[in-house]
Amino acid sequence: MENNMNMQGGLAPRGTARRLGKLIAVSSLKVEIFLEDTNVGIRDLVYAQAEDRIYQFEVAEINGSVASAICFGMTNGLRRGMDVYWLSEGIRVAYDQAILGHVFNSYGQTIDGTQLEQVNTRSIYERNLSMDEIEIDGDILWTGIKVLDFFAPMRKGFKMGLLGGAGVGKTVLIKELIHNVYQGLGSNSVFVGVGERSREGRDLYDEMVEADLLDKISMAFGQMGDNAMSRSRAMYTGLTLAEYLRDEKKQDVLLFIDNIYRMVQANAEISTELARMPIDNGYSPALLTEISEVEERINSTADGSITSFQAIFIPADDINDGAVHAISQHLDGQVVLDRKVAEKGLYPAINVFATQSRIIDPEILGQRHFHLVEEALRCLSRYEELEQIVAVLGIDELSQEDHDTFFRARKLRNYFSQPMYVAEQYTGIPGQFVAIGDVLDDVEAILDGRLDDVDEGDFTYIGAYLKGLH
Amino acid sequence: MNSTIDTVLEQKIADIKKGANAFATGHVRLVREYILEVTGLEGAAYFERVTVGDKAEGYIDAIRQDCVLVALTRVTGKVHIGDQVVATGREYTVQYSPNSLGHVIDLSGMDRLVGKRMDELKELPLETAPIPIMDRTTVNRPLLTGITGIDLMYPIGRGQRQLIIGDKKTGKTQITLDTICNQAGANVLCIYVAVGKTKKEIKDIYSQLLARGAMVYTVIVAAFNDDPAPVLRNTPYAALSIARYYLEQRYDVLVAIDDLKRHADVCRELALLMGKTPGRDAYPPDIFYSHSRMLELGCQHKNGGSITILPICETKGGDITDYISTNIISITDGQIVLSAKNFEKGQKPAINYGLSVSRLGGAVQSPAMKKAGPPLRRELLAYLEQREVFELANADEMGENLRRTMRRGAKILQMLCQPKFAGRTPDQMLAAASQIQQGERE
Repeated sequence: MENNMNMQGGLAPRGTARRLGKLIAVSSLKVEIFLEDTNVGIRDLVYAQAEDRIYQFEVAEINGSVASAICFGMTNGLRRGMDVYWLSEGIRVAYDQAILGHVFNSYGQTIDGTQLEQVNTRSIYERNLSMDEIEIDGDILWTGIKVLDFFAPMRKGFKMGLLGGAGVGKTVLIKELIHNVYQGLGSNSVFVGVGERSREGRDLYDEMVEADLLDKISMAFGQMGDNAMSRSRAMYTGLTLAEYLRDEKKQDVLLFIDNIYRMVQANAEISTELARMPIDNGYSPALLTEISEVEERINSTADGSITSFQAIFIPADDINDGAVHAISQHLDGQVVLDRKVAEKGLYPAINVFATQSRIIDPEILGQRHFHLVEEALRCLSRYEELEQIVAVLGIDELSQEDHDTFFRARKLRNYFSQPMYVAEQYTGIPGQFVAIGDVLDDVEAILDGRLDDVDEGDFTYIGAYLKGLH
Repeated sequence: MNSTIDTVLEQKIADIKKGANAFATGHVRLVREYILEVTGLEGAAYFERVTVGDKAEGYIDAIRQDCVLVALTRVTGKVHIGDQVVATGREYTVQYSPNSLGHVIDLSGMDRLVGKRMDELKELPLETAPIPIMDRTTVNRPLLTGITGIDLMYPIGRGQRQLIIGDKKTGKTQITLDTICNQAGANVLCIYVAVGKTKKEIKDIYSQLLARGAMVYTVIVAAFNDDPAPVLRNTPYAALSIARYYLEQRYDVLVAIDDLKRHADVCRELALLMGKTPGRDAYPPDIFYSHSRMLELGCQHKNGGSITILPICETKGGDITDYISTNIISITDGQIVLSAKNFEKGQKPAINYGLSVSRLGGAVQSPAMKKAGPPLRRELLAYLEQREVFELANADEMGENLRRTMRRGAKILQMLCQPKFAGRTPDQMLAAASQIQQGERE
């Protein structure tokens, strides 16, 4: 309760407040206000005051003289007849050099115990890019993660989705990317924690301090213990921080979002409270509009680029879920994590068939890489069929060609597991950054049979193979 | 409709004439199971406690433009239309006595074994604001369960949330009981939360813990199946509020919640009866948040205390990918998956080692355990996968490496079997693990 008070108390109004009306209805997330003054707009901030605390709301809907507004925190203690006052035109966040090294909540306040004095601020909404502003070309960006670089290479300005059900390693992968790409590239970054674990938020902060990288990153959090309003708006706040670095500092920015699905989920909760008709699975009817509003802001301009890594939760392991589908339409590439692979203890647990990238193209990657991807996929997909045959007939019944394919595919599968820097605590093996050239050499050697005599176990959790022999 | 309004108006005018406060009283206009629609109560606050004569108690769950919704938490008589509802001016809270260790209590401070109120009751808020990110620190102290397969391979740390998930009768509750018993002398205060357990089961759990001397440091917070649904919904929050009360006094607390699938079903029941729009599988769209805000109270606090949570989730047909299960998996810091097949084969605890995960891993293990655990786990997983593929292969034609994997894998699996209430110390586990290494050399 105290924390809530502090959080909301921090926004205490100054000067003479304009009274808007009275509360006439209250639920856990929403209030309704009878307006005596109708000079109020959607997304304006309003507040009510009890003896010991201030409650803050964002206006979501206005119907004649009744406004519905969504609460920033808990609503316990609110009652009918309480006065409601106008506060401001909407949530604002620091838009200033000072954002680096700081942690914000969804409402634009610092939560790392510091105060930002006299900084420029900007509304977290309203930043639409024109087609003219958007840049689409960029250099290839290697991540050092074998399976990603091989099957789903990306470039600057890319939107890479990391899709996965619960507990298959999305967060570990995004942390490895922070480690490899951010720490390697050294450009400024923004991390947005949406509806994920607070523990992980804290750990990330500590890791940034430890790696001496805190002054190059800005973070925004609306985590899973926070209400739907906070989880939804963390995305907008974080995005505004990234836009500052792109538009004002003219930088190439890395934007890590864990997890954008949680924004959609939070919006569904808000939409339900507003008694709007849902689409399937209870999502907000405005699902596509809400996703586009955010995704269309994540783009590169001539001034700077935003390369984003977006973790996407797959509810109930249902890859055809409406929200997942809607988000993935905006992506340039996607990596799909699979429980069946995780079950075998092979991490990153990637389903290579569902993994894709816009730049799997011989003109961009070169003929060799392109060809090897095709060959590897052919081999692995044949393996899936053979696995079923083997389960029934045994391995001895395979033809020589299938026999070779079977064992080469198993080696390939093991080879694409990789010790990760951030997973050292699980595996006990130090992480490895693998150059794409080495990956191509190794995959080629496995596929053409040069490594047929090597035991398949020797390919599990290694970096490069051939290079390691010398 | 008109006559209803007339009655209400007349009643109100009568009240005003009598001098009663029309703002603090109201009248029942609809009764739906344990939900009441009440007119009047103009000045009542959200989450305020109300009474309906001496027939029922509850709290305000929503304030609408023309009525308030009351969720009943105790019903002793029949509620009729027109009955007077009185706002108490006090928030609906948890009643907790610090003398509750060793007892089976409910969220209103009743000692459920004897049916009497506990003494020295304190009021705790049912729910509080989340614990800020910056008030947390790294989870890195082990919480030992005494179960080899967990402590060695999928370790649990103080402040971790580790889900226990599996079908009916696969030993989910047993893992929490083993863990609680293993806390003897470990300075951990245990709270076992029963949501949707039968009275018989709760009594059994109580006597099991009592017989092993574990009730000394344990309190059982129980909602009975026949309590009103709002009580079932609120009980785990109440238990976490009690845990937070101890956290603030720097205790290490362990909370086992048995179980969250039933809790989700109760939330669904309430939401639908209150007319909320259903989402996936008819659960309310905020069902994720119902569980996430509860489990996010699990943490290692910077004050030194911690709340470790072991939520249980029941599945059907071994499917851990249904909506509620995946929601909870995505909240917790890992899961111990139990398999009916293993249970039937007598492999107990019936852990499915492939599907189980600890997101904290070695970070919460002692150096020796950390050294022994991960390689053993990798070896076991490789064995389990190869056993499946090569089930039909002729052992004589296998390579030496493969035969070795199969032989050792079977030994590891054997070593992980352990009867209930037979907790092992880390030293015993390490000795067993090194025996496998030695046996191989000979």
